[in-house]
Amino acid sequence: MENTDHTDTIIQVRNLVNNFGDHSVHAGLNLDVKRGEILGVVGGSGAGKSVLLRTIIGLNKPTSGTVAINGRDQASLSQEEARKARREWGVLFQDGALFTSLTVGQNIKVPLREHFHLSDDLLDDIARSKVSMSGLSLDTCCKFPADLSGGMRKRAALARALALDPKILFLDEPTAGLDPIGAAAFDGLIRELTKSLGITVFLVTHDLDTLVRVCDRVAVLGDKKMLTVAPLKDVMKFDHPWIQDYFGGPRARAAGIN
Amino acid sequence: MADIVYHTKFICVEEGTPSSLVRFMGAWTIENAQDIDDAMAATVAAIDKGAVLDCTALTGLDTTGAVMIRRFAAEIDKAGAAVLTGVSADYKELMELISSCPAPAATEPEHLPWFLAPIIHTGEAFMRANTSIARLLGFLGLVLSRFFGTLLSPGRIRLVPMVHQMEVAGLNAMGIVGLITFLIGAVMVNQGAIQLQKFGAELFVVDLLGITLLREMAPLLTAIIVAGRSGSAFTAQIGSMKLNEEVDAMRTLGMNPIDVLVLPRLMALMICLPLLTFYADIVGIAGGVLMAWAQLDISPANFIVYFRDVVSYDHYLAGLIKAPFFAMIIASCGCYQGLRVAGSADDLGMRTTKSVVQAIFLVIVLDAVFAIFFTSVGL
Repeated sequence: MENTDHTDTIIQVRNLVNNFGDHSVHAGLNLDVKRGEILGVVGGSGAGKSVLLRTIIGLNKPTSGTVAINGRDQASLSQEEARKARREWGVLFQDGALFTSLTVGQNIKVPLREHFHLSDDLLDDIARSKVSMSGLSLDTCCKFPADLSGGMRKRAALARALALDPKILFLDEPTAGLDPIGAAAFDGLIRELTKSLGITVFLVTHDLDTLVRVCDRVAVLGDKKMLTVAPLKDVMKFDHPWIQDYFGGPRARAAGIN
Repeated sequence: MADIVYHTKFICVEEGTPSSLVRFMGAWTIENAQDIDDAMAATVAAIDKGAVLDCTALTGLDTTGAVMIRRFAAEIDKAGAAVLTGVSADYKELMELISSCPAPAATEPEHLPWFLAPIIHTGEAFMRANTSIARLLGFLGLVLSRFFGTLLSPGRIRLVPMVHQMEVAGLNAMGIVGLITFLIGAVMVNQGAIQLQKFGAELFVVDLLGITLLREMAPLLTAIIVAGRSGSAFTAQIGSMKLNEEVDAMRTLGMNPIDVLVLPRLMALMICLPLLTFYADIVGIAGGVLMAWAQLDISPANFIVYFRDVVSYDHYLAGLIKAPFFAMIIASCGCYQGLRVAGSADDLGMRTTKSVVQAIFLVIVLDAVFAIFFTSVGL
């Protein structure tokens, strides 16, 4: 694949400040995401994980600070450039956010139709390929989101997020609300797909299993900034009460961390 | 030397024996997908037997490109064998992910042929309307049985939500109900007077206004406004609770949704709609009085005296007695459709529309039934 930019960092967040009224969520947050890695972002409830994700994908305007993707400051893009830039990322929202009035197949075709003019036949073929890539059976294509189980909805949403062959995939709690078997399968799917497609993944999660099995590096949000960004082994050694609680708890032991 | 049979930016077909050589070149990505796809038919036409598909010259490949390579291979396979070579290590995984060709499956809901669609839709709509009316009747029975049960043990009445609904559906509707009936009363006198003046019988606008307004216009208009205002609100409120599984949660907590959600709304509307109708009577007549004063120079005092003589108490009663029945229809349509919401936000919108349409339709049907009934009993 052609890389217009050969630097190692694909997302660069600098001195990010987010205030909502008097309430400060981020105060001078810095983060680098390397090309091709799977970065897991963890943090307590209300630590600002989702706000960070929304800020990076441009749904939330930061109070100050910059977000650069592929070396380009997102705030400086013109509307047309921003539209083009959005083709480079896929986002999987927590509940999938599939359009309820469209079938799964049509949901996958929405971004394709929006950005390209392709023949119906090719669109169908692409939609079917994405559906089977996401591990869904093909008869799911003409089902409506309301007819799917939670796990299937996540997979369908992943198929839509991958529709435009993104370079970066943002996942918001991909395994929340799934049973352990479904969650493990979804973890496997993310790992396998993103590695074979060469996608950079920014993953917000609470799931310790996901951290262990999927992520290359783990970023810990706390005290309004990044406490540490490192491979899981090193993060666990980091001396901070929240991190020690997080990785020292009974659930962490159950996930095979010690 | 091999002859080049077909050539574009992305594809080059060379003739050879025993099979042709197809070179894929450039970036096979989604940006170029349409150009590549358009070239497929010509490429396949240029090949008579099989072909070797050579991927060594690819400079870019994404899943869409991989899908297209698979499509080319499948098409060429029909003419003869297609052999894929030269896939570089970078693209190997991607090709493997895509190469298992999915069987054709529909990605859109089925579309009927145009000439059948209207017939089938009419039939389906008729059957749906049938079952819908039957279900609504069933629901009405259920509500009434709970309603009379509640009347027998008044402690079960949920007073706070009921009073709240009375405020929202009744008190807050006074502005719009008053405005509309005032204008209708004035317009009726205005138009009636123009016609009656031709016969020198303009004084009869008082009869005209009194009878039509008290018997028909005020109850019907009020019911239609309330159906549009509150019936839709009932559906939306209960429907979004249903989508949020709040109704199910209620059931598990041992609360009956009919008691908690439907009865307070039903009772509130049954109390408020007659009151609103009475209010609409007054305001409508006030509109008529003012118009008669302005247009025909009938002073309000004269109007009232004549009104008392010609418009009997029966007319007022015949109008007012319908209001609680209208209220029952509006509340049960609204709540019934709300409780039937399932699945998606789309369904909620559809149900809301349906509840208003159904309520107005049934109100008018019931009004007609009442008209026949009152005529036959001489009211």
